[in-house]
This record gives sequence, C-alpha cells and structure tokens, in this order.
Amino acid sequence: MTPSLPTILMGQVISLSAPAPPEASGDYAVSRGGMVAMLLMLSAQEAERGPAARAWENGALRALLAEAAGGYDEALGGALSAAAGVTDGDCGWSALDAANADLRRRLIALHEAAEARHDAGLQRRILDLYVEMAKARHVDLPGPAAG
Amino acid sequence: MTLAERLAAYLSRTEGRPVTVENLARISGGASRETYRYDAVSEEGRRPCILRRDPPDSLIDTDRRLEFLAIRSFLGRQVAAPEALVLEIEGGELERPFFIMGRVEGGSPASPFAVDPYGTHAAEIGEQFFSIMGRIAAEPVDGLPILEAADRPAPDACWRRELDYWAGVIDADELHPQPIVRAAIRRLRTSPPPPATKVAVVHGDFRSGNFLHDGSGRILALLDWEMAHLGDPLEDLAWAMDPLWSRQGDPRISGMVPVDEALAIWRRASGLEVDPKALAWWRLFASVKGQAIWTSSAKAWLDGGMKEPILLFSGWFTARAQDEILARHLSELGPA
Repeated sequence: MTPSLPTILMGQVISLSAPAPPEASGDYAVSRGGMVAMLLMLSAQEAERGPAARAWENGALRALLAEAAGGYDEALGGALSAAAGVTDGDCGWSALDAANADLRRRLIALHEAAEARHDAGLQRRILDLYVEMAKARHVDLPGPAAG
Repeated sequence: MTLAERLAAYLSRTEGRPVTVENLARISGGASRETYRYDAVSEEGRRPCILRRDPPDSLIDTDRRLEFLAIRSFLGRQVAAPEALVLEIEGGELERPFFIMGRVEGGSPASPFAVDPYGTHAAEIGEQFFSIMGRIAAEPVDGLPILEAADRPAPDACWRRELDYWAGVIDADELHPQPIVRAAIRRLRTSPPPPATKVAVVHGDFRSGNFLHDGSGRILALLDWEMAHLGDPLEDLAWAMDPLWSRQGDPRISGMVPVDEALAIWRRASGLEVDPKALAWWRLFASVKGQAIWTSSAKAWLDGGMKEPILLFSGWFTARAQDEILARHLSELGPA
C-alpha cells in the first residue's frame, strides 16, 4: 500500500512551493521538476482508477474471507466472517483504505492458516488473488521500471 | 552562510590551509544521501569532488562509515571504485555527517526511464558489469578496510541476517498491511538457501543506474555503496537480476546481457559456482529487500514533510511495480 492520492497531491504542492537553496538550482531543479511532472501524470491515472481498484479489492477479499471462514476454528473463522460482513458505505479514499487495511490483515491471517494446514487449494486461490490485486493497482510509466 | 561557504570553512580548518569551494551543485541520484558536485581549489590546484551528506530524513538508514570504508576497500582493485577522501561523522560546519569522494569525470548513469539504456554497447557494458561484480566477490575479505565497521557472518547465517534486517524495516515502516511481501518473507524463512560458498563484500545496490559509463561502452565508476556489507555474494547477483531493473519482455538483464551469459561472466570473474537453489532464494529475497526499501521510502517522504519527490516515486510507483513482481514470483512458486 502506498500513499493515497490526496496525500500525494498535497506533497506535490509542497514540493513546488518550497524554496530551493542556491546549490539545488540548475540541473537538479530541472530534474526535480521533471519528477514532479511524472508524479502528476501518475496521479491522473490514480484519480481515474484508484477508487474502483480499492472497491474491487475490498469486494474480492470479502468474498474470499466469507467463503473460507467456515473451514476454520471459531476464533479465526469468526473474525473472517465479521470482516467479510462489512460493506464499503463510504467511497472516499480514507474509508476505502481503512476498510482495506482491515481486510488485508485478515487475508494475511488466512494465508498463514492455509500454509499451516497445507491447504494447497486455498493457497493457490490466495496466490492468484495477489496477482490480481497487484495488477489492479498498476500505474503506467513510459519505459522500464525504476527505483 | 551558504553550503559552499560552510564546506570551504570545514576544508580550510581540517587541511590547515585556505580552500575555496567552487561550482557546488546538487545532483540527482543516491536518494539516501544528498549528493553534490564541487571543485575544491587550494594552493595545490583544483580538485573535482563529490560530497555525500546525510539528509534530515533518509530513504534507508545506512552507515556512512561503512559506505566510506567499502569504497576505500576497493580503490585500485579494478572494480571502478571512486577515491574515498574524507569522512566526517560529527558533521562539523555542515551540521550533518558527510563524506567526500574524488569525482570521476566524463560519465553518466543510465536513466531508469531509458528504453535501451546502453544501445550498441549493451554487451560490452554487461561484460564489465558482471565482471566487476564477480571481482568484488572474489576479493578476500581479510585485510580490507570494510572489516573495521562490518560484521562478518558465518556462511550459513548470511541469509537470516539479511532477511531479519529487511523484514524488520517493513515491520517498522509499513503504512498499510502488505500481504504479498509478508507471504514472500514466510516463504523465504521456511525454505532457506544453502550456506554461502564464500563470505564476501556485497555492494548491496549493484544494478543498472548505479554506475557511470562513458557512452562508448566503458564503465567508469561504481556508485552508491551505502548498503555494502559482508555476506553471500549471490545477493548482488540476484539484486541485479530483479525484473524491476529490466524492461518487460527484454530477455537481457537491465538491457545488457541475457541471464546465462551474465552468470557465465560472473563465474569467470569470481571463481565461484552458482547454486541454482541458492540463487532462486536470493532472487525472491531481492524483491523483498526492494519492497522494504520502497516501504521505507514512503515513510521517509511523509516524515520528511513530503518535500522530496524521488522518495514518493520510490514509495509509490516502484513499490507497486515490486508488488507485481513479487505476486508473479509467488504464483509461479505455487503453494508452500
């Protein structure tokens, strides 16, 4: 999970408005400006796709947790059922992310339990879901990835 | 006082003669330190230098003494290490710790956004890149300056030390639960690699973009030694091979040479064999380490007042790309 779009945009405002010392002008300032432009381009994609990606992931996690809950003891199964029963009433970034954090914690617990039981079928489903989750949050950049 | 004036005051005081600082300018790269180029001018003439200064908030918490000693360990040993000149732990006139290196002229690092970063020189660059990596692995550790600051793990403890460290970084800096990297960490713990065939210096960030090349097929300097340590040399090999550094669909590592060729070059230069099981473990580890760095980057960006866009880029775009790589890798491995 990465910073949410409202925070990202606020950060760009701060980056652009902060005064630069004389030694950070010239090529460095140009490069930094290019990075801000790149981040704004990524922000546009996030604004378009971000809420839907979060809502999809939350739905997919609830479906998996609900289905898996019955196969586990009362403590874990109950927690999974409870998490699966919540709905995304508020579609704001903060509410979606808060719900997602709770669901991801349950998913981690479920995956650990599946590994402990050597439940290959459930592990396979979770691994497939990871691929989909990561893909749903993809943002495009021209050229190769970078660090 | 400007930074240039403070640096000149430091150099004049410590060298016991007047030194002026000219053409001081911040340069991009090395997100865990502020990096500047400048010329030190004294009665002896003009010396081109690089200043690496700790920032208020760092991408990764690294030991500048270790970095300095790692660079010093390899001066003149055919691994394109720059010259380490000054280490100032207290900060002096610059108020934060820093060190100074000789500046290597005439080269630039590859842009991470370049589609074909080395063009027709890709094979030559790949040969040098993996040869340098192999030579670092081949270097006997005893007697190297880095031993003054680095612990030497037992061959069977290298993997655990690195995994514990980077998992700890995620524990400390995570802003939101990350099930994918957590699954990878569990996987690594339950299926450890064989012991290292040799405990060697590990550069720690040996990859495309972290060396200067002259545009004509020659590597001039290996940069960013801030994560250097002693460990299993396969760690560097696996880090360089992470798909993050390569364009999707390009079978070459970082646009240089294909995997088999890279391994052959490394074997020749290091004199070491590559255990496929060990390399597979270190390759998954490389993505975990990457995700730890990007996680830390997002936190450093927030803690630092959201000022440095490069930290956000790493903590956002790169973190997501790393998650995709990890998820695909875990899916290919299948159930534990």
